[in-house]
Order: sequence, then structure tokens, then C-alpha cells
Amino acid sequence: MIPQNLLQNPLALTTQKCTLGCPILDRCLAGGVPCNSITELVAESGSGKTQLCLQLVLSAQLPTSLGGLAASSLYIHSEFPFPSRRLQQLSQSFRSSYSHVLDSEYNPLDFVLVRGVQSADQLFDVLLKMDSVLLRPPTQLPVRLIVIDSIAALFRGEFENTPFDLKRRSSLFFKISGKLKALAERFGLAVVVTNQVVDFVGQAGGLNGLRVGNLGSLWSSGRRVCAALGLSWANCVNSRLFLSRNEEIVGEVTGLGGVGAGDTVSRLTRRHLHVIFAPHLPESSCEFVISREGVLGVER
Amino acid sequence: MELARLPISASQRGKLISAGYTSLSSLSSLSPSTLAQDLKISDNEALEILRVVSQGSRLDKPDGSHAIVNGAQTAWDMLHEEESLKCITTSCVDLDDILGGGIKCKEVTEIGGVPGIGKTQLGIQLAVNVQIPVNYGGLGGKAIYIDTEGSFMLERSLQIAEACIEDMSGNSDFLQKDFQSCQVKAQPKDFLQNIFYFRVCSYTEQIAMINYLDKFISEHKDVNVVIIDSVTFHFRQDFDDLALRTRLLSGMALKLMKLAKKFSLAVVLLNQVTTKHTEGSFQLTLALGDSWSHSCTNRVILYWNGDERYAYIDKSPSLRSASAPYSVTGKGIRTATSKCKRIKIM
Repeated sequence: MIPQNLLQNPLALTTQKCTLGCPILDRCLAGGVPCNSITELVAESGSGKTQLCLQLVLSAQLPTSLGGLAASSLYIHSEFPFPSRRLQQLSQSFRSSYSHVLDSEYNPLDFVLVRGVQSADQLFDVLLKMDSVLLRPPTQLPVRLIVIDSIAALFRGEFENTPFDLKRRSSLFFKISGKLKALAERFGLAVVVTNQVVDFVGQAGGLNGLRVGNLGSLWSSGRRVCAALGLSWANCVNSRLFLSRNEEIVGEVTGLGGVGAGDTVSRLTRRHLHVIFAPHLPESSCEFVISREGVLGVER
Repeated sequence: MELARLPISASQRGKLISAGYTSLSSLSSLSPSTLAQDLKISDNEALEILRVVSQGSRLDKPDGSHAIVNGAQTAWDMLHEEESLKCITTSCVDLDDILGGGIKCKEVTEIGGVPGIGKTQLGIQLAVNVQIPVNYGGLGGKAIYIDTEGSFMLERSLQIAEACIEDMSGNSDFLQKDFQSCQVKAQPKDFLQNIFYFRVCSYTEQIAMINYLDKFISEHKDVNVVIIDSVTFHFRQDFDDLALRTRLLSGMALKLMKLAKKFSLAVVLLNQVTTKHTEGSFQLTLALGDSWSHSCTNRVILYWNGDERYAYIDKSPSLRSASAPYSVTGKGIRTATSKCKRIKIM
């Protein structure tokens, strides 16, 4: 055994990152999603987890000079159906905005491998067979990005709330995460997993309210939430990002106006990306919007 | 003196020779029970042989100490030795205070806490701080960083190293001007060069790594700290046989303890937290179970207290239990600032 040379590339003393396809979001994450580790996106449904993941599988194809990995990616989805129409839509705007580097024949969808899984055990089986896919990628580009959307959906249904099942569940967490990290290290992969939230119940300071990360509490849609899958899963990821969504009422409410009178109240959904914990990032956050073209950061 | 001249019975001598013990030196460091097993004799008989052997060897070298007490020290000597040992600073004054100066060499210190509390940050900080040159009050040593989770980030260690150099040059103004020459020499890249980084991806690799450390450190004598981040991760996967896990872990802990003593280096083990089910309620505790908690000399728990990070000495033979705030900043681990603010307000 010999130690790794930390100065392998003396010109760039950073871990390689995969751009999110938006300079403002990239700045918040110091370049994007890091390779060789697992990044988790935590958010309630409709907050933009899947949008961000779809954008990632496209931007990973960019050359390294533009912050990408020049690689194809593997999208493992557990929530059906796979949003292929949205990916198609995003890929069109991706092609037009990078037409100066991409061939006119280039179809980004050719470099996204999609696999559906229905259970946690099936996910583990897929990961076990992954070596051969990564060694001999079915596309021209090597696979450097794995997205699992979502990990929570696999675990939240199948297991009961008994000590035996919980133990089996957390053992499977560590098996899956161990395998993912080993693959990430061996092939220099960026791994992104998405997770759901659960409502925060009970008192602050109790075990449920156990503080994990920079933010004292997580708020989304006016509810206090925490990441699903509990403490043992939190130990399995390297970085955790939280996408929040909060509605703000902007504009005047006229006399008859009420919650039900939608016409008179104009609402604005404000979305934020927060760094909950990451070995290389300070506590920070960034506002973003989801548009037809994708997920874009907003300068404050 | 040779085996043939030992005043033991012919049958014993025959057994010794046929078991391969042909010289006195081969017997000198042997335990009675091993000899009894090898020769298929009773423990008492083996002890008797060893006593004769040690008498014989003492006749050879009159000043040689007794074999059984060989290598023993008095408590007084040990105290002196301990006082002369240097500590690795954590860069946080309060944390150093409760630790009695910093992370101690020759000891195994376990540090645990929830994700995001700063375990890896502290690990990287120690890997950098161990390299502070002797004339700045450091150890001027090197670090071994064993990464089991993939959380070691190059850019972060570079940041921490830069801040460390900045602090050193800041301090030198108060000391002497001679250090100007050192300042020019210290480069963040040199700090990275002196961290031996190993990435292990399974528990088998982890055990092999720890077995290999002895050899590696013998070849790199200037290593003063071994950091394992985290000791837990691979041992929480796929272990149905918990008894096996306990045996492997305690074997690993013993080896680390031995390394710490042999090479006077600090061993820092980072651990995760888990919930423990006791009497119908769940409690937070460090992972790997009760028997593991005996494996470390010191145990430090990191936790949130409101918006501040705190460290608590949970177990230590020589330190009183105490807690202290610390903060994780862009420069690395530092003294918590809010405490200063509070004093200012008062």
C-alpha cells in the first residue's frame, strides 16, 4: 500500500467537480458536485430535486474546460415514470445554448443511461453489476455521474417500524453507500442521491429534532421538516444540500381578498438551495428559479 | 551461555531442542504459557525453565535486568516522559484547554459527533497542525490520514494549511525576526506533501491498512499522528456476526494502542453517532457498541448547543470531564467567537 499523491495535479489542487449548468449555483457549491463522493439533495416534492438532477446529467456531458466531466451518466430512478419529456425539453435548450461546442448531430439523450428500480435490494443488485458497465460503457463517453432519484422512495415503503426492520434497513444503507463510495473512488464518479423530507414532530432538542448540519431547523412550505431516513443515513453521505420552497404573498390584497380568492393575491414561490453540511463548503445558501430552460440561480 | 549448559533435565532439554528453541535468546522474551503449549508441558514446569533461563542469562551479562521486568518503567519515569511529550494543538484555545494542551501523543483519542458537526474538519486541522515547526511550538511531524468515507477534500486542506501558515507568520512578529526565513519556506503544498493519504474502501482493506502501519511508520519515523476518518463506516455494513465485529474491532484498537506507544504518536479515531435503544427510549451514543468504548484512551463528543458547536470530554484517565465551545471557520477549527462577544457585552 502506498499513499496517494495529493499533489498529482499541482496546477489544480481541488477535487474535480461537475457543473450544475448555472454559474451562480456553481459558485455556491464551489464549482459544482464533487467527484469521488456522495452528494445528497434533500427536499419535499415539487422543490426541484428531479429538475436539478436532469440538468446535471446534461451538464456532465460538457467538456472539462466548461466545468463538466465530458462523460455520460447513469440515472437510476425509483419514482415512476421517468420524466423523459422534460429531459427532452431540457436537452433542446442545452443544445442551443452550447451549440458552439456541440456537434449539430450531437444528441445529449444518447449519453444518459436510465434504469428503473423498485426496491432497495434491487438497487444493491444493480450496483453490484455496475463495475462492468463502468469498465465498458455502452456509450462513447465514459460514465462519470450516477444519479439515484430517489433513495427515500425505496426505503420508506418497504420497511416497517420495528427494531428488526430498522436494523435491516440501516445495514442496507451502509451497504449501498459503501458500494457507491467504492465505485465513486475507483472510477472518479460524482454520485448524487435525492432524499425526501418528513414533517418535524415533537419538541426541539428531542431526538427527532436532532440537529444535523448548519441550519438550526429546515423550513419548507411553511412547515418545519427534517430529512427522511434518519440519522444512520445521514452518516452515509458526504455532503447534504437542502432545497426549500416557500410561498410569499406579493402585491396588494383587495377588499374581498382572502386565501380563497386567488385572483387578488399574487403569490411568488421562492426557492433556495442551502448547504447543510459538506466537507469542503461553508454554510451558505442561494436562491434559484425553475424555468423552461432549467434550474437557474438568482443573484441577490 | 548455551542451552546445553542450563541446569535442566535432559528430557526438558530434548523437548526444547525438538521444539526449535536452540539458543537462550530465543527463550528470553517468551511467555510461560506459550512455552507450555509448544513443549506440551505444564505451565509451572515452563515457568521453572524460564526462571532458570533468565538466571543463566543474568550470569552472562551481570548488569542485564530480569527478563520478566524487561522494558518495565517506574511510574516516576513515565510521568517525566509524559510531561516531555508534546501535544498537537487543535487551533482552538478552549478545546486545547480542556484537552490539557491538545491531542496527546502516545494516546488513542476518539472523537465522535453527528454529521456536519466538524469531525472531518478537526481531522484535517490536526493533519495540518502536526506539521507546525518546532520553533513555532509544534511537533514538526507528518500525518497519516486514513479516509474510509471519501470526505477528505483537497481544497479544504489547502485552505486550512494556508490559514495555518498565515497564523504562524502573524505570531512570529511577536517572537523573533529570525523566523522570516522559515516563512518563505513554508508553502501550503508542502503541508499536503507531508500528509500520507490512504483511501480504504472496505473493512478488509482497513484492517490490512492498520496491520501495515507498523511497517510504514518504521520507514517514516517522523509521522506523529494517525487519523482514521472514520473508524466506523465500513464496520456498519453487512455485519451479521456482531461477535466477529467486536473481535476485529478490539484487535484493531489494540494494534493502534501499540503503535501509539511504540512510535510516540497520537492516534485520532473519528466515530459516528447512532441511537441506542434502552428501556423503551432512544438515546444518542457513539457507534460500534459498548465494548468498543473501552478501546480508546480518551473520548471526545462533539455536539450542538444552540447554534454553537461544543466539545465534551466523555472519558479520559487524566482529564476532568468538561466542555468547551469551538467553531468551524473558513480557516479551519478556531476558538468560538461568540464567547468573546459575550464578554464584550458584559
